[in-house]
Amino acid sequence: MLRLVLRGFLQRKLRVGLTAVAVALGVALMAGTYILTDTINNSFGAIFQTASKGHDVVVTPKQTLGNEVLSQTSPIDEAMLAKVRATPGVAQASGSIFTPGTFLDTRGKRLTTGGAPAFIASTVPPRFESFKPVKGRFPRSSSELAIDEATAKRANLHLGQQMIVAGSAATGRYTIVGITKFGGGESFGGAGAALLVPAEAQRLLGEPGHFDQIDVAASPGITAQQLRARIRLELPSNVDVRTGAQQAKKNTSDLESNLSFLRTFLLVFAYVALVVGAFIIFNTFSITVAQRTREFGLLRTLGGSRVQLMRSVLYEGLMLGVLGAVLGLFAGIGVASALNQLFKSFGADLPNNGTVLQSRTIVVSLLVGIGVTVLAGLPPALRAMRVPPLAAMREGVQIPRRPLPTRKALIVRFVLGVLAVGILIAVGASGAGIALVIVLVLRAARLVVRLRRGEERPARRYRVVPALGHAIGSLVRWRGITGRLAEENSIREPGRTMVTAAALTVGLALVAFVAVLAAGTKATINQAVTRSFAGNLIIENSQSGNNEQGIPAAVAQRLRAVPGIASVTPIAFTVGRAKGSSNNSSITAIDPATFSSVYRIEWKQGSNATLGLLGDTGAVATKGYASSHHLRLGSTITLLTPTDRHTTVKIVGIASDNARLLGDLTISRSLAKSAFGQREDALDFVTYARGASNAQVQPAVDRLLAAAFPQARSRTATQFKADQAGQINTLLTLIYVLLALSVIVSLFGIVNTLILSIYERTRELGMMRAIGTSRRQIRQMIRYESVITALIGGVLGLVIGVVGAVLVTSLTLSDSGFVQAIPVGTLAVLLVVAALAGVIAAQLPARRAARLDMLRAISGE
Amino acid sequence: MPYAMSQADRRPAEVPLVSSRVAAGTEPRVSGGLVSSWELRRRYGEGEAAVDALDGITVTFPARRFAAIMGPSGSGKSTLMHILAGLDQPTSGTVTLDGVEITQLGDRELTELRRDHVGFIFQTFNLLPVLDAEENILLPLSIAGRRVDRDWFDTLVQTVGIADRLSHRPAELSGGQQQRVAVARALISRPSVVFADEPSGNLDSKSTDHVLGLLRQAVDEFEQTVVMVTHDAHAASFADRLLVLADGRIVHDGEAVSTEQTLDLMKALG
Repeated sequence: MLRLVLRGFLQRKLRVGLTAVAVALGVALMAGTYILTDTINNSFGAIFQTASKGHDVVVTPKQTLGNEVLSQTSPIDEAMLAKVRATPGVAQASGSIFTPGTFLDTRGKRLTTGGAPAFIASTVPPRFESFKPVKGRFPRSSSELAIDEATAKRANLHLGQQMIVAGSAATGRYTIVGITKFGGGESFGGAGAALLVPAEAQRLLGEPGHFDQIDVAASPGITAQQLRARIRLELPSNVDVRTGAQQAKKNTSDLESNLSFLRTFLLVFAYVALVVGAFIIFNTFSITVAQRTREFGLLRTLGGSRVQLMRSVLYEGLMLGVLGAVLGLFAGIGVASALNQLFKSFGADLPNNGTVLQSRTIVVSLLVGIGVTVLAGLPPALRAMRVPPLAAMREGVQIPRRPLPTRKALIVRFVLGVLAVGILIAVGASGAGIALVIVLVLRAARLVVRLRRGEERPARRYRVVPALGHAIGSLVRWRGITGRLAEENSIREPGRTMVTAAALTVGLALVAFVAVLAAGTKATINQAVTRSFAGNLIIENSQSGNNEQGIPAAVAQRLRAVPGIASVTPIAFTVGRAKGSSNNSSITAIDPATFSSVYRIEWKQGSNATLGLLGDTGAVATKGYASSHHLRLGSTITLLTPTDRHTTVKIVGIASDNARLLGDLTISRSLAKSAFGQREDALDFVTYARGASNAQVQPAVDRLLAAAFPQARSRTATQFKADQAGQINTLLTLIYVLLALSVIVSLFGIVNTLILSIYERTRELGMMRAIGTSRRQIRQMIRYESVITALIGGVLGLVIGVVGAVLVTSLTLSDSGFVQAIPVGTLAVLLVVAALAGVIAAQLPARRAARLDMLRAISGE
Repeated sequence: MPYAMSQADRRPAEVPLVSSRVAAGTEPRVSGGLVSSWELRRRYGEGEAAVDALDGITVTFPARRFAAIMGPSGSGKSTLMHILAGLDQPTSGTVTLDGVEITQLGDRELTELRRDHVGFIFQTFNLLPVLDAEENILLPLSIAGRRVDRDWFDTLVQTVGIADRLSHRPAELSGGQQQRVAVARALISRPSVVFADEPSGNLDSKSTDHVLGLLRQAVDEFEQTVVMVTHDAHAASFADRLLVLADGRIVHDGEAVSTEQTLDLMKALG
């Protein structure tokens, strides 16, 4: 039996190939995701290893609230360093700085663009130094700098040239005296590093006498563990003391948790592609089982058992799965580097030192690929069991179908579905719950139709596909007989068309869903900014979209002196953790005196005057946070701050904010500095004086920023909205690119179905050619059929996506002022894309149909 | 409805090779014939395994005649018809159809020739299942993008007797009805010649008589030219002329005779 399957496999190379590709693409994305994230992980691991070389013990600020909190004052100072040095067993200890910065050329143009981060690092004693000069030397004075090789290459920097480095507090101009290389030569993850002498690095950071880290080397005869224990006893609890190895391990595991988000994000798309692939396998197997009815009948007459038939189909699925999974695994290596390029083009430069193919990747890819294929082939295999031996004798014997469910059965299923949704939502699997709700809505519609017609069992199995087919077909009917035949052929096997189209529907529904969501988000932001922001300019870090990099607090001070500016109000973001909670609360810090003049707060309780009560103990809560944390006016909440201290604030007002500028809590800027250690501002809101025009003031602001704060830039409200839209579009494009894979997979489905259908219609096509249909007409007919099928899938996808997005947003986001927007243009483009997909998918089948051997088609079986 | 068939069966062997209409005075166009072949050869395979399906066939089919080609399986009768109709290319030799040497034509010209000058009737009817009877009949015109001559359509539909079945799809028609639709389809474009490939092969005897009667009528009343391949002596008896092929050669060329005589002839030819 296996041999028979194998032979059939080889005879149907094209179909097997196409179907295998359908599986392979999903597997490839999955394998590629694992390979990419493992590679990144591994590369960073190597970087951290190098960075901790020579470090027996490392002292770092305690990251009370997680590792994503930056730009707070470090508790490590000279006094602490002295204490470490005084600890017995310490051979050498030195403080170092490693902090984000901005590199510019002497004309103020950014040298690092896109997502590659740039760091300011202080020089450290040779035993701790991870950088090596390739040319020149390390800096020795406060006017010198050594730059990493990659940045030098990218920006064409040479020894002796000058460049500007901006830190979170100050800016400096330096002569390049060295070009450096990180560690053993591995890439530093695309990041740039400027080495400065420690005092200069501290000045740029605005924290003289403070360090980000203390590196310690042990004296001979004492182990790192022992020394760590000794130092730990000496130092306060707001710092962590680790051995070098522990530090490297911690850095790696921190990174891993960040990467796991990326991994999950990418895997979602891989699973979508696999689901689409499953549709295609199911459809292909269904069609071939139907086409081989006679062959199966013959096997039955010759004494083959039902189980043997089923097994032969399953073996085919198994082999196809193995083929697809192995292909996918290999393709995954290519996909990993393609993904890397993709992220690079979206501004995220990820380190990539040698591809890592873990055995886990191989096992998971093969298991999932084979599993999906076999499962999708199971229903057709079971159907093959029902082929009667009689099928061998007669032509046109159909495999008996299961009868359609009765009304009663439908009602029972519906009730069971409702119960399932209840259970899923009760156990917190709301995603699955929502998916099931959509299925139930469709079921309910079917039930209602059935009940209204009063049918016990419906006369026809399919209604939607033929109706859509005719509607879409009317668009090509004017093309004459080819259009007319395409229309009829496309709905000839409604079930087949439905599954073929459904593969495209899945991809397009998700695209439409995301598009509607994005359009709504943009509209929401636009409306919120328009309604809430009353100022003229917003000052932000020019690394747009990177909230972690703020602007120096001094910017606000200096801007106030610019003629035409009436007020400047700084805004900063930080986090705190409410007692008893394991999640961080977002905190916005504002200037109580000026904030309400630039920003309209929608007060639930309180008024603009409430801001005056903030002081160093007050906070305004946003509505949702207040209700979930049971906060009322006058209640107090104790927060753990990033500086590892506790501070208690009293709720003085409750507001809602659709623009989401206000975090869970809003406090005064001064409290953010004193209790939360927040050095930098995130934004400055600028209001012009009466009569001042933007044409005069904005250039003046830009001149000041370029001269003193090159990392900052000014945006008008319009520009700001455009930036936000731009960020959403970038993410949207990334998602589109990833979803495109599913659409491509569904193309293979259309190709497959068409080829199989053409095979079935060999005689018809032969007759048409014999009576004078040209090859062009045949090609045209197949193309139209393909386009109609694709459009059925496209229309269904758009409807499901749009309805789904509108439902989800109005159910979950209506409270937060989500503005619904339907991106009509995008949806129209999607339909065109679907039609084009149909045209592309038809190429190969159309050519085959046109080249058909006429004689064999009309005379032979 | 009176059919020409009964007449054909009764027609004595000596009746000249002309239809009643031609005999009645309209000028026959026999100059060189409507379809003719010269030294046609068709070889399949190469070297020692090569088989000559046609081994030098020179034949002429005059206009407004009904010719039947018979022969045992593998005699080359289907190959001959395929080449005459422009469906296949000979290894050597020429075919002229309506004054055009079709063996010189490319695929596009051949397609147009078949579309505009040739009608086909197949053993397996070969109607498009997604179109109703009317659409199937009009298919050749639809393909050519030509206007429908309603009078001609009505005449055809009346003649073949499916006027009340026009909106039915093939699956809702009997075999005989389907083949009658196919006959109408072959005639709708008023082709120069109709090729029929075992038109009665899948029909019961009643339907066979009906359909062959229609072909007879097409020649007699509509001035069509019909070339039919068949292995059924009864079907061949409806024709004017009987050609017998064996091993790629013409072994008999004469007037069509009665079923019994045809059977005897075939037996004699071995």
